[in-house]
Amino acid sequence: MLRYEVKKVFSRTGSKIALLILTAAFALTVFLAVGSVEYVDEQGNSSSGIAAARRLWEDKNKWAGEINEDVLLNMLAKNREINASAEYLSSDYMENNKAYARKQGFSDIRDMMNYAFTAFREYDYYRVDSVTDEEVGSFYERRISNLADWLESDEAKDMYSEEEKKFLLARYQALKTPFYYEYADGWKAFTEYAPTIIMLTVLILGFPISGLFASEFQWKADAVFFSAKLGRNKAVRAKIGAGILIVTGIYWMVVFLYSAVVFGILGTDGADCAIQTGLGGWKSFYNITYFESYLLIILGGYLGSLFMLTLVMLVSAKTHSAVISVTVPFALLFIPSFLSGISVLSKVLGLLPDQLLQMGQAVCYFNLYQTGSAVTGAVPIIMTLYPVLFFVMLPVLYQVYRKTQIK
Amino acid sequence: MKMELDNLTKQFGAFTAVDHISITMSNGVYGLLGVNGAGKTTLMRMLCTLLKPTEGTIYCNGRDIWEMDSDYRRLLGYLPQEFGFYPEFSVQDYLLYIAALKGIRPAVARKRVKELIMKVGLAKEASHKMKKLSGGMKRRAGIAQAMLNDPQILILDEPTAGLDPNERIRFRNLISELSEERLVLLSTHIVSDVEYIANEIWMMQEGKIMHQGTAEQIIASMPVAVWECLVEKQMVSALTKRYKVSNLKTEPAGVTLRIISGEKPCEQAKRADITLEDVFLYYFGEKAGDEDVAI
Repeated sequence: MLRYEVKKVFSRTGSKIALLILTAAFALTVFLAVGSVEYVDEQGNSSSGIAAARRLWEDKNKWAGEINEDVLLNMLAKNREINASAEYLSSDYMENNKAYARKQGFSDIRDMMNYAFTAFREYDYYRVDSVTDEEVGSFYERRISNLADWLESDEAKDMYSEEEKKFLLARYQALKTPFYYEYADGWKAFTEYAPTIIMLTVLILGFPISGLFASEFQWKADAVFFSAKLGRNKAVRAKIGAGILIVTGIYWMVVFLYSAVVFGILGTDGADCAIQTGLGGWKSFYNITYFESYLLIILGGYLGSLFMLTLVMLVSAKTHSAVISVTVPFALLFIPSFLSGISVLSKVLGLLPDQLLQMGQAVCYFNLYQTGSAVTGAVPIIMTLYPVLFFVMLPVLYQVYRKTQIK
Repeated sequence: MKMELDNLTKQFGAFTAVDHISITMSNGVYGLLGVNGAGKTTLMRMLCTLLKPTEGTIYCNGRDIWEMDSDYRRLLGYLPQEFGFYPEFSVQDYLLYIAALKGIRPAVARKRVKELIMKVGLAKEASHKMKKLSGGMKRRAGIAQAMLNDPQILILDEPTAGLDPNERIRFRNLISELSEERLVLLSTHIVSDVEYIANEIWMMQEGKIMHQGTAEQIIASMPVAVWECLVEKQMVSALTKRYKVSNLKTEPAGVTLRIISGEKPCEQAKRADITLEDVFLYYFGEKAGDEDVAI
């Protein structure tokens, strides 16, 4: 019966079109992800692709290892040397590119320095150029002191409770230093474009899934379905099973292919590096590696997809309308974006299911939740909350559909 | 097989679609006659557990059908008025899917589907997509799906609606053939469909069974007579205003009218044999338009 339910879904023209669109969206996202890693050669020319990634890997891995004071001093010296070169001082951008070509090997370390030596909410690309050798020793302390200063600033002092502030500082202090560093651009590219492909997968899957419980009504096959022996029990379970199977199958196929292509081209080096070694993860209070972040992204994406698309099934079972139910993922993904400017809602928005589809970003947000004296971030909550809601929805979906009356 | 409808009522808001019906059925063919909106489909949907009654219940061999749940639906075959299907499925796949819905094991289902496809004359179209079938073929696929589980209760809601005369006769014969040793309830607003094959006819109006019995009993119960007369064209208007006219035929010599009346409508009128169609018009005439009584 499950086979027929899946067949019914994919026999619809709309479902076939949705799969074609998903294929095109996948190709475009992979192209953007792979293209996001650029290499500038000695002549100042940019390129991307396998060869470019390979050369960037060679340059960056010259700096692989623990980022201790010696490495930072070495980087500062190298930076100063390049800053004094004719290429760097030239007004010709191609000459500047040649200078950058010599800096790109330590560009990640340079970015971290820029963050460490500017205020918490600021970023100055040229700050590293004025960092002195004497200051370098405070690199890791500054990450913590910057946060502490910000938490006491007018902007943030009332934003968090004392327990939350302590929690954040404790998380910062718990991060293992010195950082281990190596080329990790494959993980960074994956993380940057993962929300795009995961969200597109959910939005596009909404179309076939919305028809799963509505097609009987659309095709007027409801009377035969519900008057059949298993129409109000096993057949309903088969529909739910087909929905979960389709979501699971397509989601993991997309994630597997996306991972395979991105990592196949850009490499999997840097899996054990902390996400704080990258520009986006520097401020995160989640002390995890790129590999752990990857697991969070793909698992969070799966849980979010399951939740949202089960909700689509539930709305479809209740309303008997594919048109209404297909709007559910759009509402869940886009309404939070419209509300994101309202600061009083930030705590609520941090717990909405769209966060599961963008875990790479969720681990960088300062969404904190306090119960008594216990403080936690949004990620553990949403990773627990939505699987529970998913399991709660299943019997509700079953009962709603099996009790359908045909008027 | 014994079905009992006990005080069965269905209301949609203030509208009563089925109004306190109590009736018993056993094996045989029952014809449910009534104009559109009489409550036939609502009654049948309750018999198929698609709708829950507002009041009353239905018993199958003494057990409440809603408590029996799938045990009751196992006995049931249903062809709805608006027979929907999965357009991209082939006839064979469609029937195999419905067989799965009916809990028939795959090996048995394949055999049964093959038999029924032959029986309803769709062997050549077995691999055709459902959406490519003609109206008559779709109806035949519909009766095949209803028969898949060899049901003891077969409910057919307007099975001949929209079919051309040849297909309708063919379909009627098929139903007749399939009706042995089971309870068949057939609803229609086309009188001739039930006249030939129903053992008992129920005439339904405004949610109630107004008359029931064999065709002969119902005909005999009509308190007025049927007359035939050949009249001049200018008299037709006056006669149709005064009497219920069940048929009107223009001929070179004038117009032959078939009139339902307790009195002799004109000098030249002769009594004619009463048909079920006349009875239908007599009882439901106010609501029945020409289309409703036409064969």
